[in-house]
Amino acid sequence: MSQSIINVENITKSVISNDNELSILKGISFNINEGESVAIMGTSGAGKSTMMSLLAGLDLPSSGSISLLGSIISDMDDEQRAKMRSESIGFVFQNFLLIPSLNALQNVTLPMLLRGNEDQEDNERKAKKLLAEVGLSGRETHLPTQLSGGEQQRVALARAFVTQPKVLFADEPTGNLDQKTAKTIVELLFAMNKEQGTTLVLVTHDPELAKRCQRTLIMNAGQCQESA
Amino acid sequence: MKTNKMIISWSWREIWSGQLWPVMVALTLIIACVVALSTLALRVEKVMTNQGRDLLAADLVLRSSNPIPELLVEKAQDAGLTISSQSRFQTMAFSDEKLQLVTVKSVESSYPLRGSLTLRDANQSAKNQVKAGELWLSPRLFSILESKVGDIIAIGDAELPITGVIEEEPELAYNPFNSIPNVFIHSSDLDKTGAIQIGSRVRYRLFINGDPTSLAAFQESYELQPGESWVDQNRESRAVRLMDKAKQYLSLTILMVILMAAVTLILTCLHYVRNRSETVSMLKSMGSSRAWLRTWLTTQVLIMFISAFVVGSTLGLLLEYLLRVPLADILPQELPNVGVQPFLFALGVALCIGLPALLIPLTRLLDAPAINVIQKQSVTYSKTSWWLLLLPFTALVVFYGGNKLVWMVLIGLLVLFVVLAGLSYGFLQLLSKLKWGAAFSLALSRISRSPKNSMMQLAALSGSLMLVALIWLVKSDLLGDWQQTLAPDAPNVFSINISPEQQQNYLQELDKSGLPHSDAFAIIRGRITKIKGQETNELAAYQDPEVRILKREVNFTWMDQLPIYNEVVAGDWTGEKTVSVEQEVAEELGLQIGDTMTFEVNSQPFTATVNSLRAVEWQSLKPNFVFIFSKDAVANLPSTWMVSFRAEEDQTPLVNELARAYPTVTLLDLRTMATKVQSLLRQISWSLTGLAALGVVAGILLIFTLLRLSLSERKREITLYRTLGASKKRISHTLWAEYGLLALSGGFVAAIAAEVILSALMIWGFELSPQWHPSMFIVLPVLAMIVVFVSLRSVIKSLMKPLR
Ligand SMILES: Nc1ncnc2c1ncn2[C@@H]1O[C@H](COP(=O)(O)OP(=O)(O)OP(=O)(O)O)[C@@H](O)[C@H]1O
Ligand SMILES: [Mg+2]
Repeated sequence: MSQSIINVENITKSVISNDNELSILKGISFNINEGESVAIMGTSGAGKSTMMSLLAGLDLPSSGSISLLGSIISDMDDEQRAKMRSESIGFVFQNFLLIPSLNALQNVTLPMLLRGNEDQEDNERKAKKLLAEVGLSGRETHLPTQLSGGEQQRVALARAFVTQPKVLFADEPTGNLDQKTAKTIVELLFAMNKEQGTTLVLVTHDPELAKRCQRTLIMNAGQCQESA
Repeated sequence: MKTNKMIISWSWREIWSGQLWPVMVALTLIIACVVALSTLALRVEKVMTNQGRDLLAADLVLRSSNPIPELLVEKAQDAGLTISSQSRFQTMAFSDEKLQLVTVKSVESSYPLRGSLTLRDANQSAKNQVKAGELWLSPRLFSILESKVGDIIAIGDAELPITGVIEEEPELAYNPFNSIPNVFIHSSDLDKTGAIQIGSRVRYRLFINGDPTSLAAFQESYELQPGESWVDQNRESRAVRLMDKAKQYLSLTILMVILMAAVTLILTCLHYVRNRSETVSMLKSMGSSRAWLRTWLTTQVLIMFISAFVVGSTLGLLLEYLLRVPLADILPQELPNVGVQPFLFALGVALCIGLPALLIPLTRLLDAPAINVIQKQSVTYSKTSWWLLLLPFTALVVFYGGNKLVWMVLIGLLVLFVVLAGLSYGFLQLLSKLKWGAAFSLALSRISRSPKNSMMQLAALSGSLMLVALIWLVKSDLLGDWQQTLAPDAPNVFSINISPEQQQNYLQELDKSGLPHSDAFAIIRGRITKIKGQETNELAAYQDPEVRILKREVNFTWMDQLPIYNEVVAGDWTGEKTVSVEQEVAEELGLQIGDTMTFEVNSQPFTATVNSLRAVEWQSLKPNFVFIFSKDAVANLPSTWMVSFRAEEDQTPLVNELARAYPTVTLLDLRTMATKVQSLLRQISWSLTGLAALGVVAGILLIFTLLRLSLSERKREITLYRTLGASKKRISHTLWAEYGLLALSGGFVAAIAAEVILSALMIWGFELSPQWHPSMFIVLPVLAMIVVFVSLRSVIKSLMKPLR
């Protein structure tokens, strides 16, 4: 039996909007084990992104508890959660979110810098290796504006994996890409996931992508179900 | 260590690509301005205080246009005071080859009572008193007269060998136009010069030293006669007032530059924060701590401050040098060191403006939540850093709290900007009444839909354009006015101090040499004693510091006919024992046709009736007088004569011959004075150009920032239009139309404002007649459009890139 890495127990999330309490998540529980790949699907507005930001500790649930890597995230303060993210969590976003003033290589070394890895030479060596893996060797000094969308997302992948995170969250990583490019990104994502044994949580509208995952959670109107 | 290097190089790139560089330029401008102005001000102030008493050459000075009465001298000696007297006058000095108008100071050996006089003779030994038979020249004269120590120089009728050079002297005249060099002779040699005769202009000084109480008692007990005045340290010299005025004009321009820079700074920072909040959220989601983010932002702020400080200080020193050039003649060669004070002050000002402008938005940036990377959230920012706003305001209150002028200027500037914004907006509304193409109508409706934004852009645009135009026009008008006075056939040499016996011969001599000359005018020096039978010192006008004519000696003349270049504005040149008065003085004194006035020349009173008022153009350099009498009123009074003539360059030897033949006649050669004035004006115009350059940079930077920000803020809206199917052409035409119209009305209003302010400056500031500059109404709108085009071209182009 492999170890639980994310455990969600009866969480709810509601927000106040225009003086009304809006309930987005309505009592959700599930468990994700180490090394699993999980897809979260559902209609637009179902609460997928909200769910993911809670799992990653970017926000806190209104009630219930989430344990991530053995710690209850509600018990940690902002700085502690940031520290945990820098040490064990990676992200890939729909809109890539590279730093425009840094070149590809520097964007990839950034997470190591945030972690406190001071050895820049070592950082750059690791980053170069990752960039080569995503097929971007020779493009290290290019700025994000000089790269296509697919290439930017590849840099983002390299950035996410360079710290060998325990969990990788991806919110519609292929949402902004054409089909062909999306496919290569998915291939890369799973290849690296396999190589590093990373736990993968990804939100997607793409059933093809969901099929590649071991499990699929379907969200609907603030509820969550395991798909068959 | 290596990480730090990475952060530094990243910050550097962030500043340039993140559009933070205008902040750096703005800070640089602020520092340059403050360094320049405060260095200059400190230097001048130090020179002034260093020389406080030296400037007077005594503790107390009695200044008079009449010889100091012997009785007074005795009285002072009885009171136990030390005294020394001086007479000074202007006359010609001749070497074998050359001649030059000089100011002769005839002093006693006890001179000066305060301050230092250093004279260096042929043996290079330093002396500090003038003895009988000696002649000391200011350094410039050696080259002008092409002479060396030991050569014989004629001063009027006296011939004296040069004893040596004046290295240092008290009583420096702080008058940039006073280019006449000094010589010292001993008072016992005064009579030999023959320069002093009735009617010639000699000024006398009695220097007095003593303990404060006896000085005060002496000053108290003596009743000043007409033409006399006390000078003590407390009395501000004209030079100090002149400097103060110059400083105020400078500060005003610089204040504008600083204000524009500050606005640029704030706008850029706000924009940066809006642009970079996503980056910060992303860094936070990747787990960066607040401390790390703080280091990251602090590094950027530090880099900007340090670079701005280094570049700004250098520029500031350069600017100070430029501003100082026109003052070269009146500042001592060795300038006092000002130390680090101006730099600290500049840093202080930059911090006062920069810290709140940078830190308030940047701490808000720190509040950008990590969750924004996934879901955009509205954020409530902490207001903890708002206290930083207290910095500039407390600084203002502490340093300028009591200075009404500063507050008035600040409020005035605000009002000016509001007025400018209102005017340009009104102008735009007028434009919208006209029939335009689709793009223009769309653009106009877009402008009136966000009046607040448009007004701000218009205010900045027209304000900075106006400032640029103003600095430029002041410069060219001042220069132009001087060039006009030097008309090609105007007389350029004035001979004064011609004795009545010499007069006939002198005119014949001029005719013989073929030098076209004016009539000779009698010069009678006297003063006004009564108006309509009332003593002048009982008149209200006597108390008015602006009305100086009642307190000094005036040049009178008589004529058979009034000069044709004086327009008679009231009355007629008829009647017996009459006087024609210049109209502005008549107004000051409340004179009307038919009023009687009593004058006094050499203690001889006489009366005349005002028969006409004249308009006089003083700057025309033609012989002009405030009072012109009919011959019967003054013909018997002692007088000297004056004549003006025109000499071309190749006639200079003739002029020199004439000067040698009549050594006691003083020649005012405007040709040398004009070159002097022109070179001074050229220097001033360099300084103004330096200032103008700063103003232009600050103004254009502000316009540039405003326009780019306003466009990039509308990025989303424009993308939406394009997604909705508006053609690229349509959108770019509308945008160009909108900003083109803004530029047009901003430029037009700037031209109006510049003309109004310039006229006011010319009339009240420089006392010149204002001129119109119709070309400004084309130049400024065109300039505005060019600036708009250059700043927006790349932004509009990038907005028109194909949608993804
Ligand atoms: N801060 C907030 N204030 C108000 N409503 C919010 C807030 N955050 C999320 N919501 C609402 O909660 C619901 C779920 O949002 P969420 O972004 O999680 O949906 P999603 O499943 O990711 O949708 P999509 O597939 O379109 O990205 C939406 O209806 C959204 O409007
Ligand atoms: Mg979503």
